[in-house]
Amino acid sequence: MKLFVSEGNPHCLKVLAAVEVSGVQCDVQYVNHEERVVPFLSRPALPALLLPSGLHLFSSNAICRYLFEVSGEDSSELCNQWLEWEATDLQPALLQALHLAVVQGKVSEVSKVLQGPLNYLEQSLSKGNTPYLTGEAVSVADVVLWAALYPVLSDASLALGERASIKAWFDRGAVMHSCQSAAQKVLQGKGLQGMKSYMQRQPAPPSSQCRDSQPCNGNPAES
Amino acid sequence: MALRELSSLEKYLGLKKPNKYSTQGDKKVPVLQNNNGPPLVGLGTIASHLVKEAKRPNLLGDSAESRAVVQQWLEYRVTKLDGCTKEDTKAILKDLNLYLQDKVYMAGNQFTLADTFMYFGIHPIIVDLSVQEKEQYVNVARWFDHIQRCPGVRHHLPPLVVLRNRIYTSKHH
Repeated sequence: MKLFVSEGNPHCLKVLAAVEVSGVQCDVQYVNHEERVVPFLSRPALPALLLPSGLHLFSSNAICRYLFEVSGEDSSELCNQWLEWEATDLQPALLQALHLAVVQGKVSEVSKVLQGPLNYLEQSLSKGNTPYLTGEAVSVADVVLWAALYPVLSDASLALGERASIKAWFDRGAVMHSCQSAAQKVLQGKGLQGMKSYMQRQPAPPSSQCRDSQPCNGNPAES
Repeated sequence: MALRELSSLEKYLGLKKPNKYSTQGDKKVPVLQNNNGPPLVGLGTIASHLVKEAKRPNLLGDSAESRAVVQQWLEYRVTKLDGCTKEDTKAILKDLNLYLQDKVYMAGNQFTLADTFMYFGIHPIIVDLSVQEKEQYVNVARWFDHIQRCPGVRHHLPPLVVLRNRIYTSKHH
């Protein structure tokens, strides 16, 4: 099993944290941002996991889920729900926030972009009244959300405001150490700036109405 | 849209008692009201739940690998397919066409929820393709036709004409 990651790519933080927490043995290989590891995808997609069957997983959440399942922990329905929320709601906001902070230098606008998802997370955590997202123990959902939020929550300059339940959850040691060591590998101790070269290569997030049409590597379609 | 899809899935799975759904937020994310616990939110999450409710766990994959592959395509559907622009569409079809080149189903050799789910999601895109474009993405067309003919899958969607043989023979690939 081979895991391909690249420095400065926030999605790689999740899978490296999941490798540590799950304890699954896998060969981690650092490649360039632009390297096309997954043969059928025209845009580079990292992280990617080459499975023993020869298939590639190209979604960081699917990779984390797989690592946990191999280590003997199936994801519950509540876990599924958090992973889906992370992919559909949190990620678009996070990408926009990172783009603002890292590429455009508009640090003061980050808090507004993240407000919705962070408030939702805060409400769920305070209502759920359990130490972790899905109950008393750490699940793949905690690792994925922790790692996704680590770059922004650990950066005081973003002034995201105090949310008591998120803070308690985020500071609850169990996975913190693995996330920190994953963050060290991905961000090289440079904080948000460690993502700069990665973020600059990403299409601008579709915040404005007219989204630039990105040239996709292939030929222009002949229609 | 999403709710009709879930009701089609219920019928396909043979669930006798229809569930109660609502939606939340601007994006109309489906919510399943669950009598035995808190509500479940999200199209992929609810679809996976229905499969378990129908006691058809194989539809979620029969190994850790295929389960991860199925979940990956469920995520792809809700993050990439839904709400994609015309520009995205071409890249998506190109990638899927290459992916399906050596596969019968989304997760390889086994029919899973990923097929149903991707079929529902890609239907509006295939509707808009010209015959020539369908030929350009011949592996997607073959897979699509295969899935729409699987008994009980199609339900609320109209069948689409997909030619399995090329009629424009001058073009290769």
